[in-house]
Amino acid sequence: MFAFLRKNQILLSSCFCLLLSLYILTAAARGQLRNDPIGPILLWVMRPLQIAAQATTNSIDEIQNSYSMLAGYKSENEKLRNRIQQLEVERNQLLEAGATNRRLQELLEFRSHLPSGTVTASIIANSGSSWFKSCLLDKGSADGVRKGMAVVTPLGVVGQVVAVTARTAKVLLLADPNNGVDVLVQRTRARGIVSGSLDNGTILKYVKRSEDIQEGDRLVTSGFDGVFPKGIVVGTVIKVRKQTLGLFQHIEVMPAVSLARSEEVLIVKADVNQEKN
Amino acid sequence: MKLSLSFFVVGIMLMLLQTTFLHLLPLGPVVPDLILVLCVYWGLYHPTVGAALGSFLLGYSVDVVSSPILGLNAFAMSLVFLAVYLSSRSIWLHHPVVSSIVVLLASLVKGAALILVWTVFLSVDGFWTGAIRYILLEALVAAVLAPVVFALLRRGQAYLEQIRVAA
Repeated sequence: MFAFLRKNQILLSSCFCLLLSLYILTAAARGQLRNDPIGPILLWVMRPLQIAAQATTNSIDEIQNSYSMLAGYKSENEKLRNRIQQLEVERNQLLEAGATNRRLQELLEFRSHLPSGTVTASIIANSGSSWFKSCLLDKGSADGVRKGMAVVTPLGVVGQVVAVTARTAKVLLLADPNNGVDVLVQRTRARGIVSGSLDNGTILKYVKRSEDIQEGDRLVTSGFDGVFPKGIVVGTVIKVRKQTLGLFQHIEVMPAVSLARSEEVLIVKADVNQEKN
Repeated sequence: MKLSLSFFVVGIMLMLLQTTFLHLLPLGPVVPDLILVLCVYWGLYHPTVGAALGSFLLGYSVDVVSSPILGLNAFAMSLVFLAVYLSSRSIWLHHPVVSSIVVLLASLVKGAALILVWTVFLSVDGFWTGAIRYILLEALVAAVLAPVVFALLRRGQAYLEQIRVAA
């Protein structure tokens, strides 16, 4: 018996891991996995590393942008180029400070229109998988963030908090196929659900063929889902196709918020939000 | 033990890369799956109980950071490790050129596992059509990166084994 176990230990441990993951999946899918013992520890270990790595990534991104900006000055002499580079770095720093200032001001102004008690958070990591559109924020339950809260920016809806630890919150983005936001077409007040899809980007689902939807129509949150406050921009219709068969139209949507250009977001407290609705 | 632990730390670093730096690459929505490459490497060159647990834990870490439901990637990575380990016992898969093909196939296995589990547990409308494109793109990117990652991992493993022998 012992010899058999020893001989097949890798096979048995792999099978154990497979069964364990299936058990976790089943429990999580049924909502029975209340306390995840490993996740918060992993996130606690990774949070400072993620923050540092994201800061470095942002710097590299800045450098890339600066480099492409400077590409046009190649013909100038070395001294002037050095000087320009130096000035460019300083200018970038100032622009960055100015842009951050503007963003935060916009965020503050936008926050005043939201229910009191919203939390400002920074994005510290993007999704580690091509399959899921999510991001990690630097605020968690210690800051009052709870599962199910809405995440927005002054430009529009970002997503919804799906998991929280003491210091981090995982946000499922609007573009994820598992997400869904109840919306209204601003012009016609037609209702639908905006959700992600892997093949067509973000789409507006369940809009009847009879509804008048046009390219350029703006979509806003309906407030009926009890998650997002009413009237927040979700996106713009970019393509409408009425198929020959089927009850609904095929509508593609350009989300109002691009995560690549977002650094700070607001988390709207669900209970306050529901009070408003 | 020390080697397995070092490999796990490497795995965490790869995940950090996956969630930050690799998003700068101009690959559209596809993020290179370095964790999958590491799990394949473990299945081929370092098949131990620690590696099996490591594959599970790294998949779980990806779930903790990005997946809407826990266990999806833990299942997929454990399955990839097991599939590669079983295949490498019966077929000679250790040639560097073959490593790319193994990673490509492993990525397809992972994609199929994710679709299966996703369909059973999450049942998202119209998921299939988009998923196929993702699976192929992700598999290609992982296969292209595999030889480089394998070479780095092999060098690191040799270095650690040298230290162990010297000690």
